[in-house]
Amino acid sequence: MVSLTCRNFDVGRSRLDLVTTCGCNSNRCGMSLNGFPVRNYARGIATGTRKLIWGRPDIARFRVSSVQRDRPVLNVVAQESASTLDVSSKPRGPVSVSNLLEVVADDLQTLNKNLKSIVGAENPVLVSAAEQIFGAGGKRLRPALVFLVSRATTEIAGIKELTPQHRRLAEIIEMIHTASLIHDDVLDDSNIRRGKETIHQLYGTRVAVLAGDFMFAQSSWYLANLENIEVIKLISQVIKDFASGEIKQASSLYDCDVELEEYLIKSYYKTASLIAASTKGAAIFSGVDSSICEKMFEYGRNLGLSFQVVDDILDFTQSSEQLGKPAASDLAKGNLTAPVIFALENEPKLREIIESEFVEDGSLIGAIELVNKSGGIERAQALAKEIADQAIQCLQCLPTSDFKSALEGMVKYNLERID
Amino acid sequence: MVFLACRNFDPSPSRLDLVASRCRWSSNRCGMSSVNRFSFRNYGTGVDTGACKLAWIRPGIAGAGCRVSSFQTPQSRLSVVAQDSASTLDVSPKPRSPVSVSNLLQVVSDDLRTLNQNLKSITGADNPVLVSAAEQIFNAGGKRLRPALVFLVSRATTEIAGIKELTLQHQRLAEIIEMIHTASLIHDDVIDDSNIRRGKDTIHQLYGTRVAVLTGDFMFAQSSWHLANLENIEVIKLISQVIKDFASGEIKQASSLFDCDVKLEEYLIKSYYKTASLIAASTKAAAIFSGVDGSICEKMFEYGRNLGLSFQVVDDILDFTESEEQLGKPAVSDLEKGNLTAPVIFALEKEPKLREIIESEFVEDGSLDEAIELVNKCGGIDRARDLAKETAKLAIQSLQCLPVSKFRSALEGIVNYNLERID
Repeated sequence: MVSLTCRNFDVGRSRLDLVTTCGCNSNRCGMSLNGFPVRNYARGIATGTRKLIWGRPDIARFRVSSVQRDRPVLNVVAQESASTLDVSSKPRGPVSVSNLLEVVADDLQTLNKNLKSIVGAENPVLVSAAEQIFGAGGKRLRPALVFLVSRATTEIAGIKELTPQHRRLAEIIEMIHTASLIHDDVLDDSNIRRGKETIHQLYGTRVAVLAGDFMFAQSSWYLANLENIEVIKLISQVIKDFASGEIKQASSLYDCDVELEEYLIKSYYKTASLIAASTKGAAIFSGVDSSICEKMFEYGRNLGLSFQVVDDILDFTQSSEQLGKPAASDLAKGNLTAPVIFALENEPKLREIIESEFVEDGSLIGAIELVNKSGGIERAQALAKEIADQAIQCLQCLPTSDFKSALEGMVKYNLERID
Repeated sequence: MVFLACRNFDPSPSRLDLVASRCRWSSNRCGMSSVNRFSFRNYGTGVDTGACKLAWIRPGIAGAGCRVSSFQTPQSRLSVVAQDSASTLDVSPKPRSPVSVSNLLQVVSDDLRTLNQNLKSITGADNPVLVSAAEQIFNAGGKRLRPALVFLVSRATTEIAGIKELTLQHQRLAEIIEMIHTASLIHDDVIDDSNIRRGKDTIHQLYGTRVAVLTGDFMFAQSSWHLANLENIEVIKLISQVIKDFASGEIKQASSLFDCDVKLEEYLIKSYYKTASLIAASTKAAAIFSGVDGSICEKMFEYGRNLGLSFQVVDDILDFTESEEQLGKPAVSDLEKGNLTAPVIFALEKEPKLREIIESEFVEDGSLDEAIELVNKCGGIDRARDLAKETAKLAIQSLQCLPVSKFRSALEGIVNYNLERID
């Protein structure tokens, strides 16, 4: 059924553009802390209480509600969806995530140090911001993926260690991601910011726009100095995709004619593009064959899309208590995601409610019920699984290793969030 | 005296970093002349009322604030969204011979026309919101100084290389430069205080902060992407440096408002980051694409740098010398906001009282006027004028490596034209 609905959903590169029309608009991805440190860019983190965090794996936004926690979480400014830590309400084996990333823990530690010095070196204003953005500790999913793919592919190439380019690529990716978060904070409505202050709150719009620009600029500069035209083009495309995705989304709120393809495109632009370029870039720097680089691209793309779909599902399935804010906030804002798009195929009444933009009391709840009743969630879950399967398939070209296992583990871990 | 004051002000590349770290151009005024019956590309707000607008532009990268007041013009103004300092049309209150500017750019007018057409199509192609924004930003007509400089240097240097026509890379470079410039203006509109926007709506006003930030991001992204696709590592690095400098300059400025300890060097660094960096990179890259010798490329860089610095200093002077009527807004808005520019920095060397007033942040009525008087009295303006002339001379010198041609003459003419604004 999934294949019928997304007929363009095809792993092959030639279909990339069509597939990439996936639009993931969910704002939730869910992360649980369960006692292990988590890199957390959510606002309001450093209160020492455990936070249940949701992230939108696109540019990312965390909403944080409070849960008891015995370990201080780092203040981070921009909202981050980097770590897809488990957000399910009952503690899953969180240790599996930290295990997944354990194999690249040293790489991540070096990354953290380098990021702080890159950002902070320039300017005193940014030093404080840098502290907040890149406070030590926690997990960084996107750089972790770069390191995992780097290490998984250097084995093929017979290289022992990561190159400086690998490391710099990971830093660039994290900077780009963070820059987009900073700008996203600017673009968000202020009523969704809670708890710890973002750069935007602390220093105002001006500094937030500037800080974001600065980080984009720094990452572009470092990218240029990698002197690899292919990677430069790859990553430049991502930055373009980010902006395209945000704009696409902004111009199609409440549009019930949205097709699944467009949703997939948007999801690609906003979330999967960066991950796909990261994993492919890592393979390029390992010097492996281009067919493997393409497979890594597809892995990243499918993983990213899968993340997004899961986030979108959680936006519906988590209760407000679990989410710490009203459920279905995507829907409330007119971002129509996979569950809704599927439901709209079956439920004409849903269209009416959405087009009313929920002016009536209780209409949002009514809409959520309709989405649930019409099987929209199930179909979205099936979509997430299909995409995840394709991600796993892309890894087959890699030799068996801890790193390959970790890459597979990422895919599965994401799915566990909706089991 | 200028050399004593800016002892690091040295055209040689070995000092480049020091010099480059010096210009901080924070003026919001550059002044654009009464239009005198020729159309100009005007990114000022509030321009399409059919009334002649006196538009001021701040040639700073990250945010030209075009403030516009009205006066009569025979040509309907194009409504332009982002404020732009691209055209440094003469802003002096009496009609100068504006024809000299249009003459200067006449030699590349076809190139500019093609640029205008291309810009519309490479920017907001996919998205209806961006298409409208792009329409507003890139409406045809008028002059575009930065792309014009790219074309002039391109053509001046292709002569050396024996090439007849501009390459596609030259053309695309000019488009990229203008996109970067415009993106920074859009963001600057977002971060500026809204009370400086008048008349025609900016993207920020029309569509809000969100779209303005996004549009700016999109344009930066587009220009980065096109840059990457030029596949020339040297140029990619050159232009990436500019974008980094923009951000650095804005941040530097934001963190040193009302700081009376600011030295001329820091001012020059900031001016370099905010204004001259883009121009220098443009002119150098144009030479690179012409395939000329590295030494000529360096000279073109210096030309652009000195020209950019000179622009900035002139703008900063005009911020003091133009009346409110001429400027169309209160004079000395830089000073008022705490951006201390060349005239003030020079004046501060002589006038301790000025420091007090500035540090008070002009809370008292009349204190701003008093500060202006002090700046005037103690020769701050004159010394700034000398600085502008010295920098301009260096720019002209940098052109000596070019064969005589109308393009070289135009490049010289632009330097002189800028100075005429403060004669």
